[in-house]
Amino acid sequence: MGQKNDSIATYDYGVVKMFSVMAIAYAVVGFIVGIILALELTFPELNGGIPYISFGRLRPLHTSAVIFAFGGSVLFATTYYVVQRTCRARLFSDFLSQLTFWGWNLIVVAVVITYPLGLSQGQEYAEMIWPIDLLIVVVWVAYFINFVGTLAKRKDPHIFVANWFFLAFIITVALLHIVNNLAVPVSITASYPVWSGVQSAMIQWWYGHNAVGFFLTAAFLGLMYYFVPKQAERPIYSYRLSIVHFWSLVFLYIWAGPHHLHYTALPDWAGTLGATFSIMLLLPSWGGMINGIMTLSGAWHKLRTDPILRFFIISLSFYGMSTFEGPIMSIKEVNALSHYTDWTVGHVHSGALGWVAMVSFAALYHMIPRLWGTTIHSVKLINLHFWLSTVGVVIYIVAMWISGIMQGLMWRAYDEFGNLTYSFAESVAAMHPYYFIRAIGGIVFLLGALVMVYNVYMTIANAKDRPVVAA
Amino acid sequence: MADEKEIETTGHQWDDEEGYPLKEYNNPLPKWWLYSYYATIVYAVIYWILYPAWPIPGGEYTKGVLGWSQHKQLEEEMAASQAAKKPFNDKISALTTSEITQDSQLLQYAVSAGKAIFGDNCAPCHGGGGVGAKAGGFPALVDDDWLYGGTLEQISETIHMGRAGQMPPHLDSAEGSFTAAQVNDLTQYTLSLSGRSTDAGAAGRGDALYRGDAGCNNCHGDEGKGSLLGSAGGEKLDTSIGAPNLTDAIWLYGGDEATVKTSIAKGRKGNMPAWEKDSEGNNRKLSELDIKLLSIYVHTLGGGK
Repeated sequence: MGQKNDSIATYDYGVVKMFSVMAIAYAVVGFIVGIILALELTFPELNGGIPYISFGRLRPLHTSAVIFAFGGSVLFATTYYVVQRTCRARLFSDFLSQLTFWGWNLIVVAVVITYPLGLSQGQEYAEMIWPIDLLIVVVWVAYFINFVGTLAKRKDPHIFVANWFFLAFIITVALLHIVNNLAVPVSITASYPVWSGVQSAMIQWWYGHNAVGFFLTAAFLGLMYYFVPKQAERPIYSYRLSIVHFWSLVFLYIWAGPHHLHYTALPDWAGTLGATFSIMLLLPSWGGMINGIMTLSGAWHKLRTDPILRFFIISLSFYGMSTFEGPIMSIKEVNALSHYTDWTVGHVHSGALGWVAMVSFAALYHMIPRLWGTTIHSVKLINLHFWLSTVGVVIYIVAMWISGIMQGLMWRAYDEFGNLTYSFAESVAAMHPYYFIRAIGGIVFLLGALVMVYNVYMTIANAKDRPVVAA
Repeated sequence: MADEKEIETTGHQWDDEEGYPLKEYNNPLPKWWLYSYYATIVYAVIYWILYPAWPIPGGEYTKGVLGWSQHKQLEEEMAASQAAKKPFNDKISALTTSEITQDSQLLQYAVSAGKAIFGDNCAPCHGGGGVGAKAGGFPALVDDDWLYGGTLEQISETIHMGRAGQMPPHLDSAEGSFTAAQVNDLTQYTLSLSGRSTDAGAAGRGDALYRGDAGCNNCHGDEGKGSLLGSAGGEKLDTSIGAPNLTDAIWLYGGDEATVKTSIAKGRKGNMPAWEKDSEGNNRKLSELDIKLLSIYVHTLGGGK
């Protein structure tokens, strides 16, 4: 290209750097809170009777820290990075970029203060009280304008596939957030939702499932579509597959929420639709995995030397596994066994740790040296992080599979007279060793993240001393 | 597998100023993927035909040809379960607890059903399997040391009516009327009943208090054997008092010196709730049948008389 690096010099990498650093910080915080929770479940007396660190208050802090603080920061960083590079244009507005950064971090701080105080609107993954909800709307609208404004400045009329996914994510999350949080405030910290009864439950899980679908799936697939071909130095396997699976995914996902409410007050027909749309979602979900993994075909040998690619491949494998497991669990008969058990917790973490966290680590390892114009401090440490993450996730999900299926089987076990074989407390006692093993899996995963903190710190600290690497 | 020479890219290219430029092959959809996708759609359509699926105008919805609903499934499963138990429950309702234990099959059934009732209602205090919990003064039900009696009738009565055990406080600062030294004397005497006193002088003074000013023998008996086994002044004690036997190694709240002293100084209040219908006929937690099954289960835990 004749104008090599001309555009790059004009990009706003500052905001990308800020979000990247915060993403890693929030990952560590989120993982630590997760481990505290795992240990509180194993040894309940650990909370010391202190309400601020009791399980009920820390649990939403953990989920928000990993999904919105860590995941959100990764997505702000990577969408801002990718949209600039694929549109060959600086972000639309520096003001909006800064607004999204400081606004998003203010939201995280507000969450960290309010949840331990017990200020919650009691809706899973949407616990934020209404003033925080409004702040999210402001930041999200700014994000939307900034992203679309940048897209509008693109040089190539063709929009790169990653940006379709990012745009679908930004629009849908706005819709989900606003509809699910419609409420009438009664004080600065309290409000009543406009939805009531089963409608409220239905909308909550329409929101909850599509937070998974658009925040943790579509957006991170967008990320994958940029970083995998870039890191593998191969063209994307199939443009056609990307179109078909993109439209199938965004159309089908939005229907799947009711599978969270099987055997409840939700009408039977809604449950059926939720389950069948989840089943039809399997192959569209896998489209992203196929496109990611097949992009590496012809470059498999690179897996031997490049731990970042290894991160990508294992994350796509976990993605494929959990998007297979999800539809299976949505079927009524399977759900009757899996629902309310640790199986669900294991499923979520094979997606959240195996897919989201690992694909994020890989993207950050790819992006950070380029942002700071340097090379990574240590490839060996990336490899160490890779193995710690993989082993940690596997320990975690195997423990939860065993514990969850055991729970489900114990709850439904009858003796020859038709009487329940086990009391609930007996199933709790049986889970104890697996809770401890789960905490160990989490600790191993955290160790990997700490290795990353060191590696990234050294990379950035040494950036000024090293020659800028072009290409 | 894609071969760069054979399969064309789409011709678009992005981010080509640094690193490898982004390009896209235009491989066809993998056939296995496409046909599997179709198969899931067929699966969904069949499911919609079989089960309740689509809302239709007027507040109705397609019911599905199987006629399935979750409420119907629940009702059918509950009915099947009740039908299987009915022959047993009918017989058990007509017999006394001791008659039931004579029939090995009925006994087996009662133990199975009683275990489930125990797990949901009793285990939170008495522990899984009835092992008890000293911290709360919840008695173990697996041994043959009973406070209110271990016969089927006595166990049944305990469950029906509940029990309230009252050990009064003795220390003057805890609403009692004895000095710390006297409480210590009583403690030493209590320990001496199980051969563990460390201060013979104190135990002797405690002995006098026990059957004197403190009047412990009125509930625990002259020999400290408790209200169930003991006697005071030659007369059997009222078995509904529930005063524990102090001469054995089994302790309700703990038998170490400090715990015994705490029990004497501050007193104890035990409370076993009543599980039968209350005086206004409102149904509490357990039915007559449930209490019968539960009594038999507790009786079989190891200490039934």
